[in-house]
Amino acid sequence: MARDTTRRRVLAAATAALPLALAGCRGIAALGSPPKPAADVTVASDAIAVERQLIARYGAVLAAVPGLAPTLRPLLAQHHAHLALLRRRLIVPHGGQPLPAPRVTAGGRAPAPGTPGAALGYLRDAEDAAAAALLAHLAAAPPSLAQLLASISASEATHALILGTAARQR
Amino acid sequence: MSAARAEIAALQGALAAEDSAVYGYGVAGAHLTGARRAAALRNWVAHENARDALTGMLAARGAQPVAAAAAYQLPFPVHGAGAAVSLATVLEDRLCAAYLGLVGLANPALRAFGARAARTAALRAAAWRGSTLAFPGLNLPAPVRAAAPAAAGSAAR
Repeated sequence: MARDTTRRRVLAAATAALPLALAGCRGIAALGSPPKPAADVTVASDAIAVERQLIARYGAVLAAVPGLAPTLRPLLAQHHAHLALLRRRLIVPHGGQPLPAPRVTAGGRAPAPGTPGAALGYLRDAEDAAAAALLAHLAAAPPSLAQLLASISASEATHALILGTAARQR
Repeated sequence: MSAARAEIAALQGALAAEDSAVYGYGVAGAHLTGARRAAALRNWVAHENARDALTGMLAARGAQPVAAAAAYQLPFPVHGAGAAVSLATVLEDRLCAAYLGLVGLANPALRAFGARAARTAALRAAAWRGSTLAFPGLNLPAPVRAAAPAAAGSAAR
């Protein structure tokens, strides 16, 4: 009985080692190149990067000009909603690879303007740029993601409208 | 559904929303004054133009554009300026939803057209509302016709 168990263990170990042994025969090429991320993964992760950059800019402006909070908080909350829904579009396989690095150009490093009028204009321009960046992915996205991107882009266009109006009232 | 039929269905949806907007702005404008009346009139004209453009796009695809109803059921009674502004907001929200239907198509030109029109509707809705939505045009009901066919449809249910 004990000998039987041992033999089964040996067999199991040999079977488990078989693919590795075969792969070893063909060298590293047997492992293949990692699969390219699907178009929707690329689109969603780029859109997530756009939203994260906007949220960072709102944070910088709120730190520099706290008096703008009543105007900015509702808009910032909507960006967090955008980010949450976009993240749900990304299905990361269990124990899978980390996401590809977002392909977003730097440029969010400029310090936020310190006066209310300039800060509102800065965020209005950032919203316009984000709205355009999301639409650049429209053709590559699967239908329901394209609709989500168009809706978020439209939301950001309305943010720019509200920010522009607030800037003119100062 | 074939790609061509999907395009026609989405364009018909947008046309129906434009038809109900033309009707609704007629009602809303009657209860508004000053700058808001002027805005309602501007939007009314814009929706007539959009309706004509969609009619042309459907005709170019050999489809019969869905006819406008004589009257549309309003989502709530409109007897004053406050309700008129709310009605204009709802009309634009519904248009935004209808144009997102075009964004769901495979045709990249119609996607881009739908996205532009959805953006325009969202901007008008935000101007009426005085605030913004996180997801304009998503999860909104279609316009309901007030005419007899709607009643017949519900009786058949």
